[in-house]
Amino acid sequence: MTSQRTVARLSRILGLIPYVLANPGVGIDEVMERFGYTQDELTRDLNAVFVCGLPGYGPGDLMEAYIDEDEVVIDSADYFSRAPRLSPIEALGLLGAALAVSGAGQGTPALDSAIDKLSRVLLPEGEDALAVDLTVTSNEVVGLRRAAAENRVAHIVYRSLSREETTERDIEPWSVFSTLGNWYVTGHCRLVDDLRTFRVDRIREVTVKDETFQPPVELPEPGVGYTPSDHDVRAEIELYPAAKWVLEYYPVEVLGETEKATTIRFSSTDAELPARLLLRLGPTASLVEGDAVATRVRELGASLQARYR
Amino acid sequence: MRNVVERVLNTLIYLLESPRPVTAEEIRRTVPGYSLDSDDAFHRMFERDKDLLRQLGIPLKLMPLDAWEVDYGYVVDPEEYAIEDPGLTTEERAALSLAASMVQVGGSHFGLDGLRKLGGAERGVALEPFGADLGAEGDLLGALFDAVVQRSPLEFTYRDRQRKLNPYGVAFRRGHWYLVGGGPDGERIYRIDRISKVVAGEAGSFRRPEGFDPKAVLQAQPWETGADDAVEAAVVFDEDVAWWASRTLGVDYSDGPLEVQLPVSNRDAFIGWILSFGPSAEIVSPPELRAELLSRVEAALAGVEK
Repeated sequence: MTSQRTVARLSRILGLIPYVLANPGVGIDEVMERFGYTQDELTRDLNAVFVCGLPGYGPGDLMEAYIDEDEVVIDSADYFSRAPRLSPIEALGLLGAALAVSGAGQGTPALDSAIDKLSRVLLPEGEDALAVDLTVTSNEVVGLRRAAAENRVAHIVYRSLSREETTERDIEPWSVFSTLGNWYVTGHCRLVDDLRTFRVDRIREVTVKDETFQPPVELPEPGVGYTPSDHDVRAEIELYPAAKWVLEYYPVEVLGETEKATTIRFSSTDAELPARLLLRLGPTASLVEGDAVATRVRELGASLQARYR
Repeated sequence: MRNVVERVLNTLIYLLESPRPVTAEEIRRTVPGYSLDSDDAFHRMFERDKDLLRQLGIPLKLMPLDAWEVDYGYVVDPEEYAIEDPGLTTEERAALSLAASMVQVGGSHFGLDGLRKLGGAERGVALEPFGADLGAEGDLLGALFDAVVQRSPLEFTYRDRQRKLNPYGVAFRRGHWYLVGGGPDGERIYRIDRISKVVAGEAGSFRRPEGFDPKAVLQAQPWETGADDAVEAAVVFDEDVAWWASRTLGVDYSDGPLEVQLPVSNRDAFIGWILSFGPSAEIVSPPELRAELLSRVEAALAGVEK
């Protein structure tokens, strides 16, 4: 068990106890719903509380904690009668999530008043010391989000970076999410009859159709992964220290690391993406292996030189 | 695991209820589960438990036992332990719960943990087809945010150099967290994932200047926030990518090529961004930025011939 999970478990226990103390006779269902417990988890935590208390640790010193028919009972725990302060990352996670959602145009009056109340308790007086910008820069996110929420097919005009071409396709948008500063839509693409993830800023137009679709019972975990296949272009690249940010942005395989350089394998469906990356990196990277990528860098480099000379 | 949870709860109760600081040795002899045989084993366990208490946000302090300051003991002040009740309504809790389940920080729902400390939310949340991850390393981000809230001055390493900063706020923009504050040379912005070796000074050591607005950081483009001398660049985007560039820039666009003037104070970021359009974008002026872009292209060409 990692310490983060232990912290999350203790955090929930320290929230649970004051809540039950303040609401005697509270039902087990409400407690499970409110704190996101399964019955097993709740029983396990109550059993842990039950053997803790004041030094001496005799029957009169321990807290009482048990399930009585359909009620949760906790008693003799006055020292835990008030809710504990949030850790910095919990405070930032909660307020940051609220600001992000509100800023992305998904806010409600209740969320905005919650932000005001939390800011008063969690931030220095009168200071907006936390800012989160997930601003939606295009109407396309709004359209796709609506299509995903209503299970409606969306027709998109998409410019692929790696192929430098624009295609039109119908997709069944399952989820719209933001990660690493970009918005993505994941879903079934009818053009290729497979699961695809599209970067929303490369979608030029969205038309939400009347036709509906059946989403999968379990949505895939939102994320920008890359599934390698036999047809991939592979390149081995040395990244010098100034280019190490690449590791955070692309799903690459690290082959080796020295003080001077990190060697990675970059796999993609064609040479365009790694070639453009190498142009961006200039002197901070070099290609160790990958003929197709080298060819594309030369082509792109030559047309850039022609344009600038 | 079971023992860890019980040991931490018992230690916390002991500290909350004790009228005076409690020494490590007293905790060892009193709280069940600590090793009595081996000093090393005890210290390892105790260090880990103290770390858990700190990660939980519990204000664990070390204080002298007497005026001579020879021996020290641990204290958790019940007033500091408790949070002031924000007085959230049912609707507000539901809205926060929804937001916290949609937005993660570095892959974890820290916000949900926080909301549970405040008593959770009445209604569970259904899976939403909408989500976001504010990627970050939780420990560092938490420590820096704490310094902002506590007004602790910071010293840290950034790109191999030692920096001093009074932290005024943290901000998330375009996939990154930034720390903003005032240093010896005025206002500064640092990308948090490039900060290391952080040392926080005494809490309450500075005041934030009136009118400082961390949100202003959010409005700048990456090439606008840098230490380079500011220049005005003219750029033309060809028709095939103009619509796309116009979105990033937030300018109106209908058709044809897009010509814009942009202020640049981070040349590296600017040239990287222009090159991401391949041969479909061109820096028209100033000449030195054109030359810089070309030398980058030449370096890349040399890099594939090795």
